[in-house]
Amino acid sequence: MQNNHHKEHLYKILVIGDLGVGKTSIIKRYVHHNFSPNYRATIGVDFALKVLNWDQETVRLQLWDIAGQERFGNMTRVYYREAMGAFIVFDVTRPASFEAVTKWKEDLDSKLTLANGKHVATVLLANKCDQGRDVLTNNGIKMEQFCQENGFVGWYETSAKENINIDEAANCLVKHIIASEKDMLQSEVPDTITPQLEKDKGGTCSSCFRSQ
Amino acid sequence: MHRSRFDSGLSTSSLTLAVPARRLFFFSSSYATMDKMENGLRSVDTGSIRTLSSSHIDDESSLGSDSEINGFASERQTDKYGFIGGAQKYSEDTAQDIPTAVLRQREVKWLDMLSHWDKWMIKRFNKVRLRCQKGIPPALRGRAWLYLSGGKVKREQNQGKFQELDSQPGDPKWVDVIEKDLHRQFPFHEMFVSRGGHGQQDLFRVLKAYTLYRPEEGYCQAQAPIAAVLLMHMPAEDAFWGLVQICEKYLPGYYSPGLEAIQLDGEILFALLRRVSPLAFRHLEKHKIDPILYMTEWFMCAFSRTLPWASVLRVWDMFLCDGVKIIFRVGLVLLKCMLGTREKLKACQGQYETMELLRAIEPRYMQEGFLVREILEVPVTARDVEREHHIQLKRWKKNRGELNFKPPPRMHGARIIMLAEPPRRQDLQQNPTIVLEVPQTTPQLQKGKEEKKSKKKKSMKKSQPTEEIPNPYPLPSDPQSSSSELPAPPPGNSVMPEAAAQTETDSVGEQKTPPTDLPSAKESTLQRSTQSLSSTEQDTYL
Repeated sequence: MQNNHHKEHLYKILVIGDLGVGKTSIIKRYVHHNFSPNYRATIGVDFALKVLNWDQETVRLQLWDIAGQERFGNMTRVYYREAMGAFIVFDVTRPASFEAVTKWKEDLDSKLTLANGKHVATVLLANKCDQGRDVLTNNGIKMEQFCQENGFVGWYETSAKENINIDEAANCLVKHIIASEKDMLQSEVPDTITPQLEKDKGGTCSSCFRSQ
Repeated sequence: MHRSRFDSGLSTSSLTLAVPARRLFFFSSSYATMDKMENGLRSVDTGSIRTLSSSHIDDESSLGSDSEINGFASERQTDKYGFIGGAQKYSEDTAQDIPTAVLRQREVKWLDMLSHWDKWMIKRFNKVRLRCQKGIPPALRGRAWLYLSGGKVKREQNQGKFQELDSQPGDPKWVDVIEKDLHRQFPFHEMFVSRGGHGQQDLFRVLKAYTLYRPEEGYCQAQAPIAAVLLMHMPAEDAFWGLVQICEKYLPGYYSPGLEAIQLDGEILFALLRRVSPLAFRHLEKHKIDPILYMTEWFMCAFSRTLPWASVLRVWDMFLCDGVKIIFRVGLVLLKCMLGTREKLKACQGQYETMELLRAIEPRYMQEGFLVREILEVPVTARDVEREHHIQLKRWKKNRGELNFKPPPRMHGARIIMLAEPPRRQDLQQNPTIVLEVPQTTPQLQKGKEEKKSKKKKSMKKSQPTEEIPNPYPLPSDPQSSSSELPAPPPGNSVMPEAAAQTETDSVGEQKTPPTDLPSAKESTLQRSTQSLSSTEQDTYL
């Protein structure tokens, strides 16, 4: 621990997007490696934890699965708090869910900023790509442009059902989160103190001691 | 396999009539049989037959397509509530079985209450409440819920309304959203398992009708589980009026745009927790865990997606009788059980850990008998809820301004609802929902059997000795001495808290009133030996 040999990272990641685009399915695929057509509609918020090995470090991702219906938008401020990254999901077979992407991005950016004032890293997921690409028929270049214009760090065609590109998308997001974290730490250096344990104290604090 | 859900009730005698193995049919016929028994004559209403034929249900749609869609076909085994899997499926650890004979006697009492509903509600509401606390017999649960909620009166006073709404196409905006949710409600319940099956069709009709009934409210996703639970117990029209009552009287504003009411109730819950479990309160406060992070689904779905099914039904029995305070109490019990001791808190240091814990409530705290007893002990009354509502609303206005959507005042329970909108006599009349046109040829035998059975039941009331069957799962309000004579209460249930801090029930006094609904012709020997209590007091067990 002291020498940062095995560092642990903990990141809160939001999964947002219109209702029925497959947010829950993506999370279940990513965390539990399976797919079912029987997921219940998410009401409020749901959670899952994914643990990754990342360059010999451990990365824990808290995935926050947020209800897609518009009227739950009134609660998102609470759900977004302290998140480090986000997936915005749409359904490639439903143009309306793509149109809502900018709305979700605006909601996210207006309610959540990092300590350095920047927006959180966000990856766009074009889900259900196994069912066609109606929304994407134009081509990928337009999507690249869309991502740039709207502040996404990347986009992926995904399928929770067929397990396509979900790990890749998550890796992309984690990479950007780590980068933005480093960026933040650098800009924060003057304020940071580095706690150090003194060997002779044996690594226990007094309150732990008392409770035993 | 369908019949299992109604096995426990009067409806068993109707099985011979319900030839097509289909839920709705069974349901309707169980209604009809009971009406028949009560009135002693056959009904002439064809309401639900029309429902059946108009919705083009066939066995293909409700059963045949499962295999394609969900792959459940081979190992389909339904529990007594209709669940074929999932976390809410029946298990002996989470539920308590009531002896059939006890159920039969409860049914008799409920039938009597339902046929003199206004009198019971006005003069003997405490008794009604007590019986709701003990659990409504499954065979009569649907009808009882409809009466308690005032949905019955609403339906009678708005005859033709549902049919009118049902025939309209609906706003495409809402239709689109509702359709996306249809297959995502209780996917492990056989009624909702197949796409386009009768359960999903009725769910669509009910939810769409609501968006037409209250266009300014539209559809909220959390309404779907509420409607689905109702549909498991009653036909679409009744479920619609039940939903209307829950949305407008019990939980007003919960589903409205902005979802302000539920957030306000989150604050109320949190404030009440300070009193019920200061330890849990401080923990949640310390980790800045906003109530809406854990209570949204609990409250909006009235715990229908959280608890084991037996407990859901018991909670709803009490909720529809006593109103939202029951929901608050369940929430408080769960928070207290999961976060109420220092030891437990040590294990969940952090916001996320705490939320994980609250999403994975230990089964023992949700066990039917345990949970009901705990709920009855929570010292939170409707007045407490109102008082806290007032305080939190003031705070809300100070911090966030006026509410955007001002809901109608909340009504705390069945009695207040009834007093607010007094029913006409004919509104409470029990209208059989199905005609049993039994062909005079072959099924004659069956019919004969049927009549014999129901006659037998009637005569049982008078001539057969009323055997005393003690409830193995007494409520805290039940007299202690007699329950100690029980053969063998299951472990964990034998501990009975002191005569119940049942804040608003005065059931103790009630028990002294001799029962009017159960003539006890002959007392059993068991009863005579139980000298400490009069036989009439035993009545409260049943």
